[in-house]
Formats: sequence, C-alpha cells, structure tokens
Amino acid sequence: MEVNTELIEKILKKWQYRKDFLIEILQDIQDEYHYLPRLVLMEISRYLEIPLNQIYEVATYYKAFSLEPKGKFQISICKGTACHVRGAATVQGALERELGIKLGETDKNLEFTLEAVRCLGCCGLAPVITINQDVFGKVEANEIPRIIEKYRKGQTITASTKVTSGGSRP
Amino acid sequence: MDGKKMVTVKIDGHEIQTERGTPIIKLAAKLGIYIPTLCHNDFVEPYGSCRVCSVEMRRGKRKRLVTACNYPAQDGEEIYTDTEWVRENRKLILELLLARCPEVPIIKEMAAAYGVTETRFEKLYSDCINCGLCVRICSEVVGANAIGWAGRGVNREVTTPFEIDSQACIGCGACAAVCPTGRIHIEPLWALKEGEPREFTLGPASAIYIPTYQAVPKVPVIDPTACIHFKTGGCKICEHVCEPKAIDHNQEERWEEFEVGQILLTTGYELFNPVVMKQYGYGRFDDVYTSLEMEYMFNASGPTNGRILMKNGQEPRSIGIVHCVGSRDVNYHPYCSRICCMYALKFAHLIRDRSEAKIYQFYIDMRAFGKGYEEFFTRILDEGVNVIRGRVAEVVKASPDKANDGKLLIRCEDTLVHRFREIPVDMVILCSAIEPQRDADRLQRLFSLSRSPDGFFLEKHPKLDPTATPTDGVYIAGCCQGPKDIPDTVAQASSAAARILANIARGVVEVAPILAYIDPEICAGCRLCLQLCPYGAIEYLEDKGISQVNEALCKGCGTCVSSCPSGASTQRHFRDDQIWAEIEGLLLDRR
Amino acid sequence: MKKLKVEDLSKIKEKRIKERQLSEAGPYRARIVVHLGTCGLSAGAQSILETFESLVAQHPEAKAYILKCGCGGFCAREPMVQIETLGLEPVIYVDLKPKDVKTIFEEHVLKGSIVEAKRLSPEESFFARQQFLVLRNRGKIDPENIEDYIAQDGYMALAKVLTSMSPEQVIAEVKASGLRGRGGGGFPTGIKWETCRHAGEERKEERFVICNADEGDPGAYMDRSIIESDPHSVIEGMIIGAYAIGSRQGYVYIRKEYPIALEKLNIALAQAREYGLLGDNILGTGFSFDIEVHRGAGAFVCGESTALMASLEGRAGIPRAKYIHTVEYGLWNKPSCLNNVETWANIPIIINKGADWFTQIGTGDVTNNPWGGSKGTKVFSLTGKVKNTGLIEVPMGITLREIIFEIGGGIPNGKKFKTVQTGGPSGGFLPETLLDLPVDFDSLTEAGSMMGSGGMIVGDEDTCMVDMAKYFINFLLEESCGKCVPCREGLRAMHSILERITKGQGKEEDIEALQDLSKVMIQSSLCALGQSAPNPVLTSIRYFREEYEAHIQKKKCPAGVCPDLYEMTIIPELCSGCMVCARYCPTKAISGEKQKPHQIDRSKCIKCNVCYSLCKFNAIKKI
Repeated sequence: MEVNTELIEKILKKWQYRKDFLIEILQDIQDEYHYLPRLVLMEISRYLEIPLNQIYEVATYYKAFSLEPKGKFQISICKGTACHVRGAATVQGALERELGIKLGETDKNLEFTLEAVRCLGCCGLAPVITINQDVFGKVEANEIPRIIEKYRKGQTITASTKVTSGGSRP
Repeated sequence: MDGKKMVTVKIDGHEIQTERGTPIIKLAAKLGIYIPTLCHNDFVEPYGSCRVCSVEMRRGKRKRLVTACNYPAQDGEEIYTDTEWVRENRKLILELLLARCPEVPIIKEMAAAYGVTETRFEKLYSDCINCGLCVRICSEVVGANAIGWAGRGVNREVTTPFEIDSQACIGCGACAAVCPTGRIHIEPLWALKEGEPREFTLGPASAIYIPTYQAVPKVPVIDPTACIHFKTGGCKICEHVCEPKAIDHNQEERWEEFEVGQILLTTGYELFNPVVMKQYGYGRFDDVYTSLEMEYMFNASGPTNGRILMKNGQEPRSIGIVHCVGSRDVNYHPYCSRICCMYALKFAHLIRDRSEAKIYQFYIDMRAFGKGYEEFFTRILDEGVNVIRGRVAEVVKASPDKANDGKLLIRCEDTLVHRFREIPVDMVILCSAIEPQRDADRLQRLFSLSRSPDGFFLEKHPKLDPTATPTDGVYIAGCCQGPKDIPDTVAQASSAAARILANIARGVVEVAPILAYIDPEICAGCRLCLQLCPYGAIEYLEDKGISQVNEALCKGCGTCVSSCPSGASTQRHFRDDQIWAEIEGLLLDRR
Repeated sequence: MKKLKVEDLSKIKEKRIKERQLSEAGPYRARIVVHLGTCGLSAGAQSILETFESLVAQHPEAKAYILKCGCGGFCAREPMVQIETLGLEPVIYVDLKPKDVKTIFEEHVLKGSIVEAKRLSPEESFFARQQFLVLRNRGKIDPENIEDYIAQDGYMALAKVLTSMSPEQVIAEVKASGLRGRGGGGFPTGIKWETCRHAGEERKEERFVICNADEGDPGAYMDRSIIESDPHSVIEGMIIGAYAIGSRQGYVYIRKEYPIALEKLNIALAQAREYGLLGDNILGTGFSFDIEVHRGAGAFVCGESTALMASLEGRAGIPRAKYIHTVEYGLWNKPSCLNNVETWANIPIIINKGADWFTQIGTGDVTNNPWGGSKGTKVFSLTGKVKNTGLIEVPMGITLREIIFEIGGGIPNGKKFKTVQTGGPSGGFLPETLLDLPVDFDSLTEAGSMMGSGGMIVGDEDTCMVDMAKYFINFLLEESCGKCVPCREGLRAMHSILERITKGQGKEEDIEALQDLSKVMIQSSLCALGQSAPNPVLTSIRYFREEYEAHIQKKKCPAGVCPDLYEMTIIPELCSGCMVCARYCPTKAISGEKQKPHQIDRSKCIKCNVCYSLCKFNAIKKI
C-alpha cells in the first residue's frame, strides 16, 4: 500500500499536529480510507511522536475505528433499547439472511458491511437501520430484501421512500 | 494537594503518621501488614485493576471498600485489611479470576487461601489476568513502549501493535519479570526449535553484574550495551532499590594519571580465533566450541549452571577434544601453546565427572612436563578417555541419511596405528592457540620494548633475566612474555615483584657510567639523534636550540654517538680516544 | 461583524423581534415552523421543508416565512410542523407526507382554515403536562441563527453575570438553586463549581470547563436534541460556568454519531465568536474564554468523567480511580469541571430568573442541604412500548404514571404495561406497583434504579425481563473498558448465566450466583459503570423474580421472547388464511391453502417472528 503523505499531512495540519487530537486525526483517516491502514498509523506515530502501542490501543479501543477494510455500504442496525424492544433482532436476522454475512462482517465483494450501533437517537422511529448516511425508520423484516436490492442495483433512494409507511407495530 | 501535610491513620488498629496522599499499601508494608495484590508493583504507578487489595475503610459511620494500592489515606481514617467483608469480597474476586485463569498456579493458590477451589462461573482458560504490569513496566520504567493494549471489555488484551513482532522491543525481559501469572516468558535460546538460527550467549545474563567471583574491587558493574537505561533513558530500578544510593548512571569512563617509578606488564594473551581454520567448522556447526567457551560452560555460575549441554539443550553422548588448534602449525603459529595438553586432560576429567559422554583426545604430542602432570595424564587414561595421536584433518557434518545423523565427524590419521580414523561425536572442543595481544605493538612502542619473532614481549635475557626488559624499571610477567601455565606465571610474576620491591627498598637507582653526552658547544641541533635513540633518552631544548641526553634513560648503546654528523655526541668512558688507547695497550702487551 | 458590547445585546433583541413579528402591516403574517431534528429528518422532514419552501416562493402574497427549528419533541408523530398565522392559534400538524403540505399551505396559510385531518388534536395530552425550562426555545428559534437566540433573552444571563455578579455570587446562586448534575450522578452543581474554583485558586492552576455530550445511553437522546435545537443555551451556560470557576478554556466532548448536532454546535460556536461572545474580552468586559470541540469515537464508558478526560487527552477512554476528584485533578491533572449538556443548558435560566424561582419547581428542600431534594425539571426521552414516544421535559416529582399514561398516552395496541426502565443501561426496571413513584434523584435510587441521563423505556407484556437484563448486560459487556476484574469478569460471568437461563439451561442456584456477582461488582468495581452495571439484573430479580423462576424451573419464557423457550403456533379459529405469513416466511415453514387455517412446521421454524409481526388477526401465538 502506498501511503499518501500529502493527505496525512493535510489532516495533521488541520488538527495542528496536536497529540490530544489523536482521536480526531484517526477519525479523519478512517473517513478517508474506510479503515486505519497499518502503514498510515506508523506514519502518524512518527509525526506526532506517540509510541505505536498507544496509537494501536486507541485504534482498537473505539468503535469508530477499524483495522480491516469496510464495505462500500455500511449498514448499521441500531441496537438501542427502544429498537431492541421494537424488534431490532428480527431486522438483524433478515439482514443477515439477505446479505449472507453475520453481524460485524463484510461481504466478499467489499460491498456491504453489517454492524450494530448503540442508539442512533431516533428512538421514536425504532427499529432503525442506516445505510451509509441514509436512515430507515420503522423498518420491518420483510422489507429488507427490497431495500438491499436497490443498493445492489446502485439506485438512489429518496428521502420520502426511506421511511416506510408502517405503523408502530412491534 | 501539598505533599507536606501529615495525616494519621489506623491500619488494623496500628496508628501510623504519614504524608497525605500515601497509598495504604505502602503504609501497611511499613507496619508489616500483608495485603494481597496481583496488579501492583512498587516500580510502576498504581493501577487498581485486580481489586484483590480492596480493604475496608471506616470514617465515622461511613464505611466502604477501597483499593489499598491507590487509595490515599485521609486523616482520622481507620483501615481494616482482613475483616469478614474484605474476605468475602476478595473471595468473590478470586472466584472470578479463577474462572478466567483456572489453570494458573498463583490464582489457584490465592483462591484456595480464601477457600475457593472451584468456580461457579464460565471458565475462560486464559493465562493472562490483564493486570497490565507488563505494559506499564514497558512504558513507565523501560520506556520502550513495545507492548500495549488492544481492544476493550472482555476482548481487551495485551499484545504488540498489530500483533506482529515489535520493533520497539529491546528484549529486556522486564515484562516477563513482573508478570504474575507467567504468561510472558523469555525463550532460552538453546531451546529454540530445529531450523531456527541459534546463538550461544556468552554475554552477561543481566546488565548489572559482578564481573567475576574474584573481582577486585568486588562491586557490580553496569554493561551499557545491555542496560535498559542507556537504551531508552528509562528504568533505573537498580537506583531505586539500592539503599546506600551507590548507583550513578551518569558516571563516565575517565583517564587517571599516576606517577610511578616502575611498571610490571602483565597484559596476558589472546585466544586464537579458530574460525579461520575452516576445516574445523567453528562458527559453521553447532556444538563446536573453543576451550574458553567450554570453561564458561563448566562454570557453575555460567549459562548452563555447569551442565554440559549442546545447543539443543541435550547432553552430548560423545565429545572430541582437538589439540594444537593454531599452535605447532606453520600456517598459523609454529610455537607450542604449552597449556592445551593439560587443560584438555582437565576437560576430559570434568566431563567424565559430570556426564556419561565418551571422550576422544586428538593430540600430536602429549606434553605433560610439569610436576605431577604426567601422573595426571596416566590417571586420565585410566579413567577410560580415548587418546588418538594425530592431527585432526577436518570436522564435518555426517550426512543425514547415514547412521550418525546429525553428528559431527572428526577425521584424522591415527599415527600410532597408521590408519585413517573417522570418529562421530556430538560436540567438538577446539584447544585454540595462545596468541600475543593484538595491540602488543602499541605497548611495545610505548615502553620501548622488543618482541620475539612469535610476537610476545622479549625479556632482557632468556636465562639470566627473564622478567626484566631492556627498558629500566619495566618488567614483564605471564603470557605477554610467552605461553605459560599458571605455576610458571606465578613464579615469573613473583620474581618480577621481588625485583621491583628490591629497587623500592634501595630507594636509589644505579646507572651504568657509560652514557652518551652531547657537547652543547658543538651540537648544531639537527635532531638526528632524537629519532634514532631507541630509549627516547634525548630531548631537544627549544630555547637553546640543542639536544640533550637524559642520563636516567640513556643505556649507553652508542647509536647517537655513531650517527652524530658534527661529532657532538660522545660516550662517556667510551670515547674514541679511550678505545684507541685501550686497543693500543692491548696490542702493546702482545708485542 | 463588530464585536458586541453588553448594551448591544438588547438592541439586537429588539431588532430581531421586530423583524420577525407577525402583523398585517409588517413583512410577515404567517410563520411555518418546521422541525428538523435528527428524528424529523429521518422521518422525511427535509422534503416537507423543500415543499414548503417552494410554496412560499410561489405565493409571496402569503407573506409567510419558514423557521427551521430543531427537534419538536414528538418523535412518534414526525414530521411535524407548526403553523402560526394572524388571528389563529398556533396549530401543530403531524405525520406529514409531502403530498399533505400543499393542502395545508393552501387551506391554512392562504385561506386561514385549519386542516383537521392532519392536526394534532388539541386534546392530545403529550404537551399538556410538560414544563419547558431547558427546552425553553423549542419551536422558537433557528439553531443556526444566534440572533433568534438573543431575541429569546439569549446571552442576557451572561451579560448579567459579567456586569453585575462576582464569580462567588454566581456560584452562590447556582448552589441556592439546588441544581444537581443531569448526567446521572445528581451531584450538586454549585458545590462542584466551588471545589473546582477553590482547587484552582489554591494551586494557582488554570482550570477547565467541559461539557459532556457523549450521550451513550441507548434510548436517550436529550443531549443530542438540545444541541441540535438550542446550542447557544449550552454555550452560554458554559461561559457563565467558566466565569464562575475562573477558566479560560472549555471543551465539548460530543459523540461522532451525532453529525447534525456537531454541525449546529460548530455553527453556533463560530457565530458566538463572531459576535464577541467567545474569545478574548467577551462583551468588552475583559473576560476571555473559548471552547474547543472533540468528537468521541464510540465508547460508552467515555461518559465517565475520568475516561472522558483521558479521551480528551487523546488516549483510550479508560477510567482511573476517583479517590482524588477531577475537580481537583482532572484534564491534564488540572482542576476540571465537567457537566452534562442539560446541566449547562439550565444555567442561563437560573441566572435570569433566579434561584428562588427555580427552587419552586421540583421536590424536597435544598436550603441547607444541597442533597435535600431535586429541583427544576428533567428532560426524558420516552421510548419503547408507549404510544407517544418523544422528548419530554417534566418537573421533578411528577409520577411515572403521569409520564407514561398522560404524556406517553399509555401502551399501544391494547397491550398491558409491564415495566419502565430508567437511567440507561446502568439503571433499573421498575414494576407497575411503583408507577406512582415521584421521579426525582433520590426516589429512583431508592427503588434500585437511577435518574441517569434521562432515558425512559417502557416495556409491555411482550417484554421478557430476563432477556432485557441480558440485553443490558450484553451492552455493558461490550462497552466495559475491561480494566478492572469485577466489571470485566463479573459481566462476562453474568452474561453467560443469563444466556443459559434464556436457553432453558438455567440452574436453581443461578439467581444466587447473579446476586453474588452483583455484590462484588457494586462494592469493588473501579468506576461507576461497573458499580451500577448490576442494576438491571438486581431490579429485574427484585421485581420480576417469578419470570426468572419460570425460565429456570418451567423452561418457559412467559413473554415469548427467548426463542428456545416458546413455540410458534397458529390458532386455527383466528387464522383467516390470508397467506401473508406463508409468503414472507423465510424458511417456508408455514403452509396452508387460501382462506383455510395455516400450519407451522416447527422443525423448519427459526422463530424469526416475521409472521408474528405480519399477522393482522393475532392468529399467531407464542406458547
């Protein structure tokens, strides 16, 4: 892998090369690469003069970071309490069946990554899933194949179709 | 908080006064009260992860459990380290730890001490309790930052970054030393698996050590190439534990000047490096050692605690001892190193003493010349050591498909029976030659000495004055003068010491009257004599522009006299006219 | 923009009020308030807004303007819009679709007749019992416009503090108000400020104020909503706190999962700086202070103060022992005052209206003992099996029953109430018998739960208590930092016991083992996460022991949640044979002909519950 030093320096400069902004810096790198490449972390360690073991600890401690490449579409199932109560597990099962991967995995084509998140704060819309930046509220298990199919085909989904018309049935 | 404020606390009823902020565990230690802990070590900051050290704190009506390792005692508090509550809590914690590490001895012991032998909780079979001592010592004390944490919660674990060999690790072993469960260990090099590169470590086992058991002065030294402090700037644990505060990492080597009247050179020898004799396989094959390496292995404080082991950790079943490696060999050193025969016999005796191995000696001539030496040789023969007369031609590895798989084959001609022999052995000891020190020439120039063709320092007279040198006040003893064994060395050194003491006792030095003299009236200051004087006895006087003889150094050799272009240099009592007169006198008698 | 002086504030306020006033003569005669919180946006508020925008542009004669507000609070009924026109009461429209917008605009804004079909019934009790202190600007301001905030008396408290009060007076006022930390601990805010100021003065150290916006509790989103809708109230609170404590630097630690809140916060900070309300020489009074924002990267335990500070320093958020408090040795070992978003947002109104006014709201008496009562209001996010999910603000001391049945409208689908869980994962479950419990710090703690940051999750008869306890323990298991033994190993042990109970492999002694584990975790965990982690287990055992016993002894899950402990069955009398379940069953376990009762092949059924949630005739039962 080539390390894009220009990009790293840009990010570091944005955060003034400050050690206490390490978590912010890593978030920007995660956003750029969709994961934290080892060589980039080693580079950061050199720039900021933070020992690599500390950077590795931070990179593996926080949920937002991943050391493995992620899929193009990141599907997050909210597993907050409200969503749990309103059937997030059913939705999760449907997604796992549809994508053929388990929670926390990425499919072979690096297309979808399935993850759980801790409460997206849309508890009124439970159960909620997000696919990249798109939020789907009041999702029901039987709609999952239709939603995934659209992403597979590369269609964009408009905001109005995102939220289904379903009521608040559990 | 300000460190000066004093507080009084009671621990198990004992009152103690201390600076505010001192953790309970330190106070308890002062009082001799034991508080069990797994994650605490005096050399790192308190961490409070194992919670085993939880004790009961009471202040007025309030009581709670606090961890002794990091709870700073407050004024008027009472601490109880072994109440029912404390024991109950400790018992549950140890039950949890036992579930995590059901097979770790220290956890089993501690739990058993609190009556827990079985755990109700799901077992994890880990051997790490995540106390973090290793990580903390590596970063706080050693400063290497080679290992660290990864993940969180139940998945939190100690690892190297990216779980690959850490480039930051300096192999100091501090992590292994502090690990309470024994999860981290330093692999002994001779226990490495087949096919991995091996190295027989002869360096000190720790960075701070007493050089030898007879060291003078008998104080430890710090090896800066092994000391963690000189690598990372951290550690300094030795400074903390040394109560007299005798350790100073800032000490540096320094030059000291002494004014002395006489010097005894005992610079010893160097061992011939047999790597150049490719036929013997030293450096190529495992288990081919030099005699000095073997001495180290035989030593009870050596790397194997005196056991004779091969690099794979097994005892050899047969050992070959090769004499005259580099000695009595026109390609290297034509002389005899004198000591090898006897120490080779000693080796045979020691090996016989400590193992069942078969021993073969390969010699050219058995030179057992000293007092009782021949008898020792006879005794060794009686002990069943095989001796083969013949120079070893080569040492090779047996081909793997043959019966002697993995063994070394020693090939030589047995000159007594006129037969070619091939002896399979597990280990080969090379009796390397004694060589002059490699910087002997520097010393030679410094002291204006001479060296014999073999490179050793030349004595004044081989029979009549074997310890003095041509330079007055400079004596030699031991192997710097030539190969010799310990009795000879002691005898020569004692003689030299006696000579030196005699001079000291006399208080004055007698100088032969035949000395050079440079006539200041005639000397033109050409300084030719300065370069020629073998004793450095002539100095040039800048202000007068002439050369002058230092009469204490001059040996009266006459070199300057014969070379002086202006005839300013003459030999006292040995002038040309005196010589001529003597010759004439002699001739007159004959006539 | 020229930096403001104290006297400029009221000028801006007057100007802004005048600009935005509805009148026949003025520029506007109608105001359309669109709620654009995260909830609203994910419910489709963006297209509602766009439709309104184009309608307003097409109809200049309507003289309407759109106010882009933050969260409206009534999440269940989003997208939500409030329309104010001259001569009519403000009307709230809910559950909007873009196609409804045109009708509403034409009927209501243009013609002045209310569209009843979409209107939130005036009898709806959702807003009736609420009292807005923290959410005082809900529906009144555009969070991206500082002048809107100033028009609502914003930054007046700051001006008052800087011009007429000494730091000691500010602390005294906050102390007198009885305000206690809204992040969950309920520590008296005034005392915290005082200790922090004192520690800094004594050691001549700089001090920090920190706003904890790392709202990690599942089911709680008060902080997100406050920052999204009214960021300036938090900023103003922090500046006042900084003045009282003597700090020059503040930090906001906010979850990365809240992108909209982060955006609004950054806009607000930039505006405050531009107006001279942050930075050097604030309002020309010589006081200087600024705020820096750090994004959390996803770790629940970073809500704990020492872990949050470690995270601010750029390290892994792992708590340390708090025998020495962070107000003395906090961020960079300097005195640091950490308060939650809601606490900071309370400050301006306390200063503006006075401690005496504030103490009239709430329970107990705090005149001599700061721990003597709970004053003011509390914002809750009311979620779960309740009709009106949403963000509510209620006075302390209101009962759970009032919240759930009056504000929340009770349990949907005719189900029975079973439990309410407060205080997030570390809180506890409260049963029906405790519904009349007044909601304040001390009563909740006494009942085995806690106030927490304000999540309130309602469970109906379909909620399995063992499963819920397992859910929270699992959550904490993943979120524990893993440092200390009781928390890490205790949670692991608890989880495996609960797991086996829900699988029908529970043993008689398991309940006792869970209680033992709870004991050691509470008394010797390092931080509050571990110390409070057993609460869900303890309260569920305390109030719902019979459910545990049913799982362990009868191997049955009474609520039909634990898949190993129930079977799916179709009640033939209720089944209409509509075939919906058969069509969606992923394993084709359901068979049957049209209009004839279906059957489930239990060997194929994976209990995915798809059929159960689809059946309109309640013909599918779990036994």
